[in-house]
Amino acid sequence: MTEVFSIDPLIIRTPYEIDYRHSYGKTSPFFTSLSEGKIMATRCNHCKVTFLPPRSDCPYCLGETEWINLSGKGKIHTFSTLHFAGEKFLKDLPFTLVYVELEGVDTLFLTRLKTNHPEKVKVGMKVNMKISRQLEWRSSDIWAEPE
Amino acid sequence: MPKGDKLPRKVAIVAGGLTYFSKARKDKTQEELAAEAARVALFENDINLSKDDIDGTIVSYFSDHFENQLLFGSIIQDYLGFNPKPSVRIEGGGATGGLAIRDAYAHVASGLLDVAMVVGFEKMSEVNTAKGNEFIALASDTDWDFPIGGFYSGYYALMAKRHMEEFGTTEEQMAMVAVKNRNNAQYNKFAQTNPKMNPYGMRDGGFITVDDVLKSPYVATPLKRLDICLMSDGAAVAILASEEKAKKITDTPIWIEGTGAGTDFMRAGDRPRTVAGVPILPHEKKEWYKKLEYPGVHSFRAGREAARQAYKMAGITNPLKQLDVIELHDAYTSSEIQTYEDLGLAKYGDGGKLVEDGVTAIDGDLPVNPSGGLIGSMHAVGATGIMQAVEVFWQLQGVAGKFHGSAKTQVKGAEKGLIHSHAGTGTYVTVGVLGR
Repeated sequence: MTEVFSIDPLIIRTPYEIDYRHSYGKTSPFFTSLSEGKIMATRCNHCKVTFLPPRSDCPYCLGETEWINLSGKGKIHTFSTLHFAGEKFLKDLPFTLVYVELEGVDTLFLTRLKTNHPEKVKVGMKVNMKISRQLEWRSSDIWAEPE
Repeated sequence: MPKGDKLPRKVAIVAGGLTYFSKARKDKTQEELAAEAARVALFENDINLSKDDIDGTIVSYFSDHFENQLLFGSIIQDYLGFNPKPSVRIEGGGATGGLAIRDAYAHVASGLLDVAMVVGFEKMSEVNTAKGNEFIALASDTDWDFPIGGFYSGYYALMAKRHMEEFGTTEEQMAMVAVKNRNNAQYNKFAQTNPKMNPYGMRDGGFITVDDVLKSPYVATPLKRLDICLMSDGAAVAILASEEKAKKITDTPIWIEGTGAGTDFMRAGDRPRTVAGVPILPHEKKEWYKKLEYPGVHSFRAGREAARQAYKMAGITNPLKQLDVIELHDAYTSSEIQTYEDLGLAKYGDGGKLVEDGVTAIDGDLPVNPSGGLIGSMHAVGATGIMQAVEVFWQLQGVAGKFHGSAKTQVKGAEKGLIHSHAGTGTYVTVGVLGR
């Protein structure tokens, strides 16, 4: 039976589900190497730029990049504590997002900051990246914690 | 353009139409909303133009997810009765409307069409607000930025925080943007936050104060509920014509004197932080920014690039002096301040001061968002950039008050205006310069 919300105008419920089979393509090693405790980025040796999120191809010269290992140390470039989110993440609220300046990386990395002292978070604060013990093969498998 | 090629044809806006905007226009379907705006454009503007004179359409909507209908452009085209004439759908996130206006400009300037109707719409109310935010978040990188719980208010909050850190911008200055735009909207009958004049308006809309904004709950620190734009149902229509046609259609064509489009990395974190990397506008000095890392996540390089192109084409060398009115993409109070700087209205870092000094108020030197913008009037994504074009068109024709239902919104003697449409975290941006 179709669920009806209103008759004038007529408003009905229309559910729709999608099941994607998503490939990470050539960036797959980032995710699979997390199980070995490694956080990797890609580097263009021609342009001398290191990317995280990894890019298989350098946007500056379109050459292919190479994998490198990171220390996982960094500092907070900017942060925000969220009190609202998309439907999927409402259950996690509140949580803090940070852009991290990671050692050896030229881009800023967007991730969650897990801390028991959100009031002490500030720009420039030192953090370490942590890897989940239960990998879900998503970018949420890693996060930052205060050093 | 290669030497010896003719300049493209001059293009004017000759008519505009809007629907009443609302959190939920459950009384009409998308195509019925498009017809509501098209009727205003065709029958309420002072023009000598019939529907049959339109040579083709550009249809502008953002999200197949919101509409749950692919190829919606075709429904709009047949519902408005334009078959078998040409039509194309344009999509570019939040800048969908600005890109559609630019595409219509290109169609007319090139001679492909003489008279083009741009139809923009969005109906965002068919899912709940959290699902709506999730759909919009799918316009961020779904491999990296979305799975950690990212959504647009969060991304803009991160950028706003960095802008505060870099330049000393304050939450009070951001609140002043919200107050300006929300209160301007109280004189615009189409505006969603105007319960007195809009029969579909927000019941808890109306005037607000800086204190109201500062006391509204945090959505993503430092951004609060009232710092953030609306989600809307509605449609907007603009009609563009070649010089020859425009002069026959209206006594007051409004010319598109310049158009520009810029882009940047999808993930804001991927953007360079180049010392002294600011592309300088004609009125700026390189030494102002010799220590500034640019664009980083505090500024929108795409907006600067779009402005640079549009200014060059339109001969704008000092935007604050030469422009009389602006409708820009105030998705967030912080991004209006950031955009002042990208457009060269204030030095990078001084955007907050511009609103604090009242320069962009309705009675200031350069009113910004007299319609109420995305915070006060509407953000029905595919319609937004077209709404801005219609608003500045009406301003330059001197009829904004007539359409809004209040003389208060008309910027007196406005001759030159700017429109600014913005997607993602500054991923696509378009700028147009319009002139009488």
